[in-house]
Amino acid sequence: MKPLVETRNLIKSYSLGGETILAVNNVSVTIEHGEYVAIMGASGSGKSTFMNMIGCLDVPSSGQVLIDGVPTSNMSSDALAALRNQKIGFVFQQFNLLARTTSIDNVAVPLIYAGLDTEARRARATEKLKDMGLGDRLLNTPAKLSGGQQQRVAIARALVTEPLILLADEPTGALDTRTSEDIMAIFEQLNASGITVIVVTHEDEIAQHAKRRIEFRDGKVISDRVVENRLIAAEREAAI
Amino acid sequence: MPATEEIPSDAGVPEPRKRSFLSSWAVNVAIAFTALRTNLMRSMLTMLGVMIGVFAVTLAVAVGNGATEAVTESINRFGSNMAIIFPAPDDGETGRPRRRDIRGRLTQRDLDAIEKEVPNVRAVAPQLRQQVDLVVAGNSTSTSAIGTTGGYGTITGHLTDQGRYINEADVRSAARVVVLGRTISDDLFGGLDPIGESVRVNGVPFTVIGLLERRGSAISGDQDDTMIMPIRTMRQRFVGDSLAGPDDLASAFVGFDETATLEQGKRDIASVMKARYRVKQGEVSPFTIFTTEEFVEQTSIVTGILQAVLVSIASISLLVGGIGIMNIMLVSVTERTREIGLRMALGARKSDIRNQFLVEAAVLCTLGGAVGLVLAALSGWAVSTYADFPVPVGLGTAVGAIIFSAFIGLLFGGYPAVRAARLSPIEALRTE
Repeated sequence: MKPLVETRNLIKSYSLGGETILAVNNVSVTIEHGEYVAIMGASGSGKSTFMNMIGCLDVPSSGQVLIDGVPTSNMSSDALAALRNQKIGFVFQQFNLLARTTSIDNVAVPLIYAGLDTEARRARATEKLKDMGLGDRLLNTPAKLSGGQQQRVAIARALVTEPLILLADEPTGALDTRTSEDIMAIFEQLNASGITVIVVTHEDEIAQHAKRRIEFRDGKVISDRVVENRLIAAEREAAI
Repeated sequence: MPATEEIPSDAGVPEPRKRSFLSSWAVNVAIAFTALRTNLMRSMLTMLGVMIGVFAVTLAVAVGNGATEAVTESINRFGSNMAIIFPAPDDGETGRPRRRDIRGRLTQRDLDAIEKEVPNVRAVAPQLRQQVDLVVAGNSTSTSAIGTTGGYGTITGHLTDQGRYINEADVRSAARVVVLGRTISDDLFGGLDPIGESVRVNGVPFTVIGLLERRGSAISGDQDDTMIMPIRTMRQRFVGDSLAGPDDLASAFVGFDETATLEQGKRDIASVMKARYRVKQGEVSPFTIFTTEEFVEQTSIVTGILQAVLVSIASISLLVGGIGIMNIMLVSVTERTREIGLRMALGARKSDIRNQFLVEAAVLCTLGGAVGLVLAALSGWAVSTYADFPVPVGLGTAVGAIIFSAFIGLLFGGYPAVRAARLSPIEALRTE
């Protein structure tokens, strides 16, 4: 089987005040199907830039990103949009839900771009929201939901197109400890069901939930290892 | 960077999505309404600009159409299938100063010949005109009297509804009888029945034999301010030798059957007249023939110019409305940059984003346009009803106004929409 995500000599450079800054400096990483990876690093370490590139939101200055074995560098913007739509689910720190829009309609947004009709969109969005335990919050707008509930709506939205990869950028950054554990428990379950989960975080405790930990500093990978003494969110929740 | 290895670039690329035009359109309309509701006040103010623009343009179109309609109607009222002959030289071009070197010619005998020789003629009517003073006991007025024959009523269709019209016997005997329009009879007799009463015309006693049906006013003026007498009476009593010949006419009407074409009729009249005056090929005729068709055409040109001027002025307000749309759409794109980034991350293509904002602008314009159209229709109706001038906002104008406002939306929403579509997903998503 081809690796799910592969980067080859990935470089992203910016020019700032006449100086060239390498946000990501020659990174080659391979992530297989079914992995649970934490991407660690301080602010400015290049971890977010790296994530944006493997999420096909940003284009590398040089090097290659292959998703499911396919190089993305020559893809048209429409093809990249389709790839994001169908293979990648995004979860953001600030949830990024559309205001004044119900949970169902928020979750259904990717399905608009997948070309489903209204009924199919509603049916699948409802199903995913129920999976997230939000069956009684279908018609709530984000303003009527707690932070944890909003993030679960966002996860339902990320999963509604049945993607291969869940890319989460500081998913617990705006949540309290208890709610964070809820979210991490969901990620655990999803990973157990076969989805590849990639979490970008600067918190050790969050990274400790993953199976593999890749650490960035100054645009380079400084460590890439298996996580020992994993924290299992389900158990920790029981303890709290 | 050149690719270092050969990998089929389409392998594993998700299939292009098939999407019905209608369903994505419906989604965009729904998104547009949500966005418009979110900034209700702003949306209303923006719509106001388009509304005023569409209102002004629609009304300008309607006023132009109304003017054409009014003029055409007033010509048709006078007799639709008709030619008018003037004793004025015609060198084939309108708008030129009259030729003074050739004397205009038109006589009763010419008209008799036309009646006999031209096919499909329904009726002919000679015409003399004379300004006269009218007096009955205690009341007086003045008007432009028409000296003619019974044919005048047949051609114009403006007949008596009380008493009778002038007839052949009246003309032959130069009877001192008149048929009055309602305005004249009201002035002279008030509410009393004037039939059989006497009226002094420039001091000569006449008998009123009929009243013309009431027609009201048209663009050409009050159609009831008129008076008809036998042509021979007018010639003998009033016109005398003011014309060059004893048989000359001021003008003549030739009414054709419904089946005849005016173009052919005009040619036939011209050939009879040319033969009578021995007008050779290339020479200027001593008479001019107009048909009602030509009158309608010429007035249409004038009213068309009027309409074009009005619409151009009104379009400026629509242009300003359109600029308002562009302005607000640019604000909207800027405000929703993060939403645009999110939608792109979730799989929206550039064209999806572009269409979303295009539809939003079109919805804004169409709503504004619809309100403007309704207001224009109401104003048109009010003017038609109370000011006695037709301002018709027809179905064509309405459909045109709506399509045009949607077009304005697409035109002025185009640039902001393209700008939104060109955003890079990550730049847009990072925007706070």
